[in-house]
Amino acid sequence: MISESVKCARGRHLAKLTLAGSLAVLVSSCGPVVENAPFSARPDTLRPGDLLGPYDGLVVDGETERPLAGAVVAGAWAFERGIGLQGPAAALEATTETGADGRYRLSIPEDLPRGEGVRLRRFTLIVYRRGYVGWRSDSSFPTGEPRHDFAQRANRVRLEKWQSSFSHYRHLVFLGGGPAIRTAAAWEVQPAGLELDGASPATASRHLAEDARVGSSASLDISPLLSEDEVRGVTGYAGKFEVGKLADRASSDVYDSRHFKASDKPETYDVGLRVWAIGSEAVEAQFRKLLGELPGAVATEEMGDASLRARGGDVTGFAFLLRDKGVVMQLSCGLAQCSEPSMILRLAKLAESHLPEVKLPSPESTGLLPPSGPSLAPGGKP
Amino acid sequence: MRRTNLARARGATLVCAGALFIHATARAYEPATTHAGLTARAVETSRLHHLLARLGRPLGLLEPLRIGFDLFGRDERRALQARLDALDPAGGYRPGPDGVAGAAHWVVAGAVLAKTPPERGADHFLDPATGKGLYDDPGLSGVAHGVRLLFDGGTSVRGLAAGTAFTLSGKSALDWIESPDNDLGLPVFFDNWERAVSLAEPRERESALVRALLAMGGVMAVLEDAGQPAFVRNDFRGAFLQRDDGSAYEQFVAEHYGRAGLPAAAAPVSRPDITSFFASADGKGLANRTQRRFFSEGTIPADVSLERNSKAADVLRRARESLVFPSPTLSGLVLRPTQHRRYLALEGHRVLAYENNGTQVRFFLDDAVYADMARTLLPEVAGYAAGLLNHLVRASLEMSVTGNKVTVRLDGEVKQGGALRVFAEDGSGRRRELPGVAATLEPGGEVAVAVPVGAKKLAAVLRGRDAGEPFVAAGEVTLP
Repeated sequence: MISESVKCARGRHLAKLTLAGSLAVLVSSCGPVVENAPFSARPDTLRPGDLLGPYDGLVVDGETERPLAGAVVAGAWAFERGIGLQGPAAALEATTETGADGRYRLSIPEDLPRGEGVRLRRFTLIVYRRGYVGWRSDSSFPTGEPRHDFAQRANRVRLEKWQSSFSHYRHLVFLGGGPAIRTAAAWEVQPAGLELDGASPATASRHLAEDARVGSSASLDISPLLSEDEVRGVTGYAGKFEVGKLADRASSDVYDSRHFKASDKPETYDVGLRVWAIGSEAVEAQFRKLLGELPGAVATEEMGDASLRARGGDVTGFAFLLRDKGVVMQLSCGLAQCSEPSMILRLAKLAESHLPEVKLPSPESTGLLPPSGPSLAPGGKP
Repeated sequence: MRRTNLARARGATLVCAGALFIHATARAYEPATTHAGLTARAVETSRLHHLLARLGRPLGLLEPLRIGFDLFGRDERRALQARLDALDPAGGYRPGPDGVAGAAHWVVAGAVLAKTPPERGADHFLDPATGKGLYDDPGLSGVAHGVRLLFDGGTSVRGLAAGTAFTLSGKSALDWIESPDNDLGLPVFFDNWERAVSLAEPRERESALVRALLAMGGVMAVLEDAGQPAFVRNDFRGAFLQRDDGSAYEQFVAEHYGRAGLPAAAAPVSRPDITSFFASADGKGLANRTQRRFFSEGTIPADVSLERNSKAADVLRRARESLVFPSPTLSGLVLRPTQHRRYLALEGHRVLAYENNGTQVRFFLDDAVYADMARTLLPEVAGYAAGLLNHLVRASLEMSVTGNKVTVRLDGEVKQGGALRVFAEDGSGRRRELPGVAATLEPGGEVAVAVPVGAKKLAAVLRGRDAGEPFVAAGEVTLP
């Protein structure tokens, strides 16, 4: 059945014989007409390739020329119909991964669409591996310029290393692809979202390296900002605190937290402090994110360049932005601890007064935003 | 006039030849590449990302949204699913087998579906001067085109015999976006933008939002075609049938820019109403601007034969007399014979190529003209599309919590209000309309709503009319 379809598809010249012949061929549910391929059959020939395939090649690191295993390779066949006006008629996709030798192979697809006037219009190969710029057979990133070095057989895909100046959002738009590519590139959605929220590509992409930096000697340390005694002094609480870090997010060189967990008391006695030192550009986006997503968040003008109050359940929240320092601080306080609205504001002012005691990252090294959504919970549970 | 007849005859010949050779590959603004790329550029320039984030879709343009095919009637489900399945996976905008795609991808998919099946493009034409869509005499070319469609699956023998084949005519773009026959038109957009707030179940609302985004893309694609000269100069024959391989300009754009290489959008355009994005008396509609500044393949001046004492002004006069449309204005012609082609320019871009071989001046469009057209038009088209998107969602409901009350205020660039409905959402995401809250809300006005017990979120939607056209405003707030 498959070979019959293919033979039929390749028999487009049959259709050129006569009008009656054309009609007979097309009405008899012939396979698709195959248009001329815009690429060569092999890199060393000018002979045009066959859009139907098969396709094979090698994926290598663009610098070392060493084969890359585990790259996702997706091939898409796009069928169109229409004369004068034309549009999509059908599509097929096949995916594979490169083996240890970096090689891939995609066979001629089965179940080619039938029907009058269906033409195989395009074939597109997409190769993706995390840490590298995606590769498409029709265009290149980041310019989007047409690519002319694709070949049907013995194709060589040189993947270039990702650069922090590249935009993840633009990269995702460029990449396209079906479910396999989308799954492989899903991790880029978050930095891409940060870019759309206003962070620069470098800022957003810095997120990639965050996990590796967690716990490093360069980690941000906000312990000088607020002490147990200061909390007690503001709220009048007489009990003890177990002081640690909030559990919802690991500290890094640009993020740190403090959790004042009231001993033997419910969460409504807890106090939480989160600080992002991510540079002047990204803090704007982070502050907007908090304002948009913390429950009941309302902008106020009580502190810093901008501030907000929020409230979710039995927890009250306060956050403020220090633009020139590139810092956003967020306090959460249970209502049993912060029984008056002014208390959380006083805690925030105390924390701000100690900021000079904290070693902040240099502006050029900042750039992280939290991967998790904003949370008011002082216990760090979103 | 002589050229027109010749062109028709040549077109008819090619049409018949095309019927035999079958594999004609005419290019409109190619849906899978050019429309997809223009729409993507427009979406990222628009305010849609921030709007979606405020409407409970925190990832905005990147928010994964699922279409619930089981929520549609059988016929609608089949038709939509088949068209979505036809989309090229390489474009990134085809939903996965689970029916999920990002919000921006749904808008782009809508733009591609606007020409799926391709005959839908016949309703994208608009002559801004007359308001007409594609129209044509039922001459030989029309019949011959019907024959070609016969081989291309666009019609049937019976359809052709019954006269229902494509007759080179269609609704005007403005009628089409309002038409109840258009499943990607404005009525579908507004209905589903509203249902994305008002429906009870989360998956119903999500699916309605997908339908709204698809329709948004569909309307944007129609506007984008107002930035293609052939679509605003009623030029189906010349642009799409004269050459067996279709519109050279659109082929040029598809090949040089693809989907991902299209230039960034110009700043979103602001217009007073939807119609004026397309055409308006002030000449600032996209169709007006495109028609005024660019030729299409079939509406260039006829060749002018030279006589011994011909002057440039004479040639220009005769060239102007052959024009179907009075613009672009022809000027600056140099009559001196030369081996090299020359160009007539307008506003800094080349609009027409010509050659003088000593006996006649031949006018034509070439790659240099197409390159200037594309450089000028593409960012502008995306800017208009982004502006239209912003216009469609220009009104919003700002909701704030004070104690046990939620205040709803109508914001945005509207001068008139509409009917407000407010919904309470419980912990499972189910919404119910709050009885007794329905009110008329004017711009700047406020309505205070008591928060019902157990509600986790309040959502509101307002449907009104402004500047003679419908609008829908939405908002929601998470409760403390």
